[in-house]
Amino acid sequence: MKKELVKLIDLSRCTACRGCQVACKQWNELPAKRTKNFGSYQNPPDLQWNTWTLIRFQEHEKKNGKVNWLFRKDGCMHCTDAACIKVCPTGALYHTEFGSVSMHADKCIGCKACITACPFSVPKYNADTNKIAKCDLCYTRLQVNQPPACVLSCPTGALQIGAKDAMIKKAYARAEELGGDANVYGDKFVDGTHVVYILPERADVYEHLPVDPKVPLEIIIWKDVLKPAGLLAAGAVVAGCFLHYITHGPKTPDDETTCEGGNKS
Amino acid sequence: MTNHYIDMKNSDCILIMGSNAAENHPIAFKWILRAKDRGAKIIHVDPRYTRTSARCDYHVPLRSGTDIAFLGGMIKHIIDNNMIQEEYVKYYTNASQIVNPDYSFKDGLFSGYDAEKRSYKKDTWTTMKDAAGIPIRDYTLQDPQCVYQMLKKHYERYTLDKVSSITGVSKEDLLQVYNEYGATGAKDKAGTECYALGWTHHTVGSQNIRAMSIIQLLLGNMGVCGGGINALRGEPNVQGSTDHAILYNILPGYLKMPSGPVDTLAKYIEKYTSKSTDPQSVNWYQNYPKYTVSFLKAMWGDKATAENEFGYSWLPKLDDGKHHSILHTQDAMYAGKIKGFFAYGSNVAVSSPNSTKVRRGLEKLKWMVNVNIFDNETASFWKAPGVDSNAIDTEVFLLPAAASMEKEGSQSNSGRLVQWRYKAANPPGDAWADGDITMKIMDTLRELYKKEGGAFPEQILNLKWDYRDALGKFDALKVSKQINGHYTQDLTITDPVTGAKEENKKSETVPTFAKLMADGSTSSGNWLMSGSFDQKGLNKMAKRGKEDPTGLGLFAEWAYAWPLNRRIIYNRASCDLEGKPYNPKMKLLEWTGEKWVGDVPDGPAPPLANKEKGKLPFIMKADGVGSLFGPGMVEGPFPEHYEPLEGPLSKNLMSGQLLNPAVKVFKSDLDKVANADSKYPYVCTTYSCTEHWCSGFTRWQPWLLEMMPEAYLEISDKLAASLGIKNGDQIKVASIRGEVKCVAMVTKRLVPFQIDGKTVHEVGMPFNYGWRFPEGASDASANYLTPSIGCANTFCPEYKAFMVNVSKA
Amino acid sequence: MKIGMIKATGPFERVVHWCVALSCLLLCFTGMGMMYHSLNGLGTMVGGMANLKTIHNFGGIFFAISLVFTIGMWWKEAGLFSFPEDWQWIIAGGGYLWHVENMPEVGKYNPGQKMFFLVVALFGAIMVASGLIIWFPFSFAVSLVRMMYVLHALGFVIIFAFFFVHLYLVTIGAPGSAPAMFTGWVTKAWVKKQHPKWLKEMEEDGTLVVYGEEKCSKKGRC
Repeated sequence: MKKELVKLIDLSRCTACRGCQVACKQWNELPAKRTKNFGSYQNPPDLQWNTWTLIRFQEHEKKNGKVNWLFRKDGCMHCTDAACIKVCPTGALYHTEFGSVSMHADKCIGCKACITACPFSVPKYNADTNKIAKCDLCYTRLQVNQPPACVLSCPTGALQIGAKDAMIKKAYARAEELGGDANVYGDKFVDGTHVVYILPERADVYEHLPVDPKVPLEIIIWKDVLKPAGLLAAGAVVAGCFLHYITHGPKTPDDETTCEGGNKS
Repeated sequence: MTNHYIDMKNSDCILIMGSNAAENHPIAFKWILRAKDRGAKIIHVDPRYTRTSARCDYHVPLRSGTDIAFLGGMIKHIIDNNMIQEEYVKYYTNASQIVNPDYSFKDGLFSGYDAEKRSYKKDTWTTMKDAAGIPIRDYTLQDPQCVYQMLKKHYERYTLDKVSSITGVSKEDLLQVYNEYGATGAKDKAGTECYALGWTHHTVGSQNIRAMSIIQLLLGNMGVCGGGINALRGEPNVQGSTDHAILYNILPGYLKMPSGPVDTLAKYIEKYTSKSTDPQSVNWYQNYPKYTVSFLKAMWGDKATAENEFGYSWLPKLDDGKHHSILHTQDAMYAGKIKGFFAYGSNVAVSSPNSTKVRRGLEKLKWMVNVNIFDNETASFWKAPGVDSNAIDTEVFLLPAAASMEKEGSQSNSGRLVQWRYKAANPPGDAWADGDITMKIMDTLRELYKKEGGAFPEQILNLKWDYRDALGKFDALKVSKQINGHYTQDLTITDPVTGAKEENKKSETVPTFAKLMADGSTSSGNWLMSGSFDQKGLNKMAKRGKEDPTGLGLFAEWAYAWPLNRRIIYNRASCDLEGKPYNPKMKLLEWTGEKWVGDVPDGPAPPLANKEKGKLPFIMKADGVGSLFGPGMVEGPFPEHYEPLEGPLSKNLMSGQLLNPAVKVFKSDLDKVANADSKYPYVCTTYSCTEHWCSGFTRWQPWLLEMMPEAYLEISDKLAASLGIKNGDQIKVASIRGEVKCVAMVTKRLVPFQIDGKTVHEVGMPFNYGWRFPEGASDASANYLTPSIGCANTFCPEYKAFMVNVSKA
Repeated sequence: MKIGMIKATGPFERVVHWCVALSCLLLCFTGMGMMYHSLNGLGTMVGGMANLKTIHNFGGIFFAISLVFTIGMWWKEAGLFSFPEDWQWIIAGGGYLWHVENMPEVGKYNPGQKMFFLVVALFGAIMVASGLIIWFPFSFAVSLVRMMYVLHALGFVIIFAFFFVHLYLVTIGAPGSAPAMFTGWVTKAWVKKQHPKWLKEMEEDGTLVVYGEEKCSKKGRC
């Protein structure tokens, strides 16, 4: 039986200690890269093939002039209607029994289609292996009933994982408790993500967070319209030709003009 | 901590001041957020808006080094608005005691000041006692000479206007904090304070904490669930380091380090044993001789006998009045007075203030031993950028050490919880555990003393020195048992109350420090830890029980908390005179009429309502009560605001004394000062970030380095704009002592202050960086900027307030 | 070669035609191997999907070069319609679908062929451009790359469908056409039937090459 899990990220409890960022690298054996301080606590600057989860730091000036420092743990949202799975040519990306989006690395051919398709800009390309990489919600840990490394590392309880329904319920209860602009992000689009945020601020306040993420229209046209259309059109043409052949017949050159030796004279 | 980490969840108001709890104590924040869930107010008062501020209800920016002004204003506000917990103040503090009429305070100076010595004679800082030696009290608190009235008088000057003008905090913000925190004066409310290096790293460090202690006593917040004064210690085992005396001026268990003139055990005991004739005072330190003799027995075993004063003469003695803090040591080193130096697990070239002075001092050593898990700026000081290696004769030994997870032992957290920790992996390569390194050095020394005699071999050769396991390795368990203590002979103890006799066998571990003796029949390396084993030798530090029947988070079966597994000290102060808890919802302790139930109480005596047997709650104090008037400090019984060594003001707005009058000022040519100097117009503070360890051995950890790769200066957008600095620019930060280059982090999180009518900017920089690693890193140690000065009581350096200039590099 | 056959194509023309045709086919099938999971087996045949992608990518470069020659070679003859006869032909459906009394005479390429050429030229170029952008997505805006996926798929649908029409017509739909692609020689009867105007033009211009006649190329082999 399918046991859908949801990782709940309560940003109102996140202290940006980045334990999750390190725990992720440790469990998944992802190397560090040399970085520069670019005037922010945030580093690396973005998700990378070797950084599957990243705490984003953002200074947000509220209407009353007070500054709010927003932290957001970025990473794969594990969509139900996952654009990456939709576009993956080889089936390297797939849904696990937990609803999360995992990846058979051996199947990945580095086509980068998922990078383009993902509404959250999550998959990242590793030129050395010619493969993409992203969070798989610690599938190997989930399989043995262990929480993902990030959840395990979180000291404040900003991260938790559990049955989808229970987590969504919890999320709404917490958002209500927080009041104000607090809201739940994740359950309402792409048929529900398996990572759900409790955002203390409105979604449009957060940088790099799409307010209304969806599988891009182009991807839908490609995969849901043109992909079947390709077969349909070719099939229709073949059928039409056959029909033409048996009803109208071929356009054959006239016999009398194909006079052998006629040109000899 | 008087309380413990989990207890923070029980608080109604948490004032985080002098700490960046979320960044530097991430686990503490778990419990702080639990309190927030319960509806507690979380307030952050700090020069910078940090990751802590982001999770608090609100942040109040305050100029570095003005905490006492802020807290003094709160004391005044609490008294003026009668927000105190009256019964508590009357009976559990010295508010009612009468102050010596010769005591005075005038224009920033207390009575007894010797300007030449920069120190006080404290003989007038006393309270009056009657003929029987019992303190004279006025429970109405109306006597103008009573502590309460004197306190009120002292803080009369700390008006909102003045405090705001000094601290830069707006009056509205001051009032909001004062009112919200003051509300915990209600009997069933508790407020707690979390501090860390933001309070200790000042010339008035100890007095910052004293000021808060006064507030906590006024509000009845000491000894209660969700209350207390909580030092969030910066390292997992820094509590253990002070408990076991890695300081020059104490012996294990906070016993005093003897000085030269105290040349006999009798004199030592006479000098330091606390005396009280008050029948209501437990006066726990009357047991001082027992702890002293047991400690000496632990040092020298059978060689310590009554005849030789248990080896007291073998203890090293401080020269009278001399100090040997890191500041004094480095001053002496720079003066060329020190030959050899053990930088054991430390990186003074980065971590000590005034790096130039520190590094020049290292050059004058004959030898230095650095014990560390990585090479560092201290071990490699002789090849630092700009240093001429040929001109340096110092011989440096770098001994590779095991990391904390590569050795077994106890670890004491801030909540005095001592947890046993097992070894997870073997140390790599030639690295040894500290214990093994120490044993090896001592073995060699003993051999040499045995062979060559030397000036004073007894103290070395007579040492009890049997801490090896079967394989000849350092055995942490053996040491821990030695610290806990044991009976050195078969001993019959008669209970003074019941008369019951108890037979104890030689070598059995002592189950509590209450059984320690002053006659040499017991041995204990640290009386506080006596009780960490039971009599059968069970290691209580390794206990992992998860039961919490009180629901208060005491978890009494999880490891061991000193003293005697007491989770909240002075816990009897949580109950009224009848022994009923002030907050019935949080029954930390309750007197049933026969005994206390709940946490391990501060002694079995009944509450104060029992006129014959009742005891006062603050058992470590000679008078049994909390000290609003606290003569223990060197700079005065009431905390007073003084400006840091370097600040933007040329005059203290509170008094004629600009600098703490009792602070030690170092005078070498490298101890330059630039106060209120237009060349260095900005206040600077330094700190550690979540990602790095103090002096930065975490820079060798690629994941951590990736997150925080290099030194930066946090600078407000307003100041940056006026200096033409853009986010990410390379900039130069200079104090009169040195300069560093780093990255500008332009932020809205820092705001300018209005100080004495003028705009004052503050900038901040982490002290985790140095040139040694990563390869190619700039020599951006923040301590090139800081001054060599420290707290007048502890000499903890002033890292938090000094003046700099900032410019584009 | 039978005497009297007419030369329809030159060797260069045939090579180019084969290049573009084969690479197009290769791209169609390797592309389909990636587009349809059920056809992932095509990847297995070449040692894995990664190889399939490599073949597709570099096959695309080959196709692009072939396409350049194709267009350069044919755009004048097959890229331009001549009115009004082409229009009439189109209205008449080329006489393929129903009986038409007075079909306009067709030149070297009928409007159907011209249309196929134009589709191949246009969509071929689109396929090359979109394919390159998809190949190197990081050099372009994500929104552009996403549109390229649509174009690439659309181009496939159209080219693939047209390809079958083309295949049918040159094989069993209009017998006698195929030799133009293989040997270059077709029967006069076929030319008369399919491209009578072209025949007349060649005869008038004297460019008609008939196998076995004097008027052969100077190289001596016809």
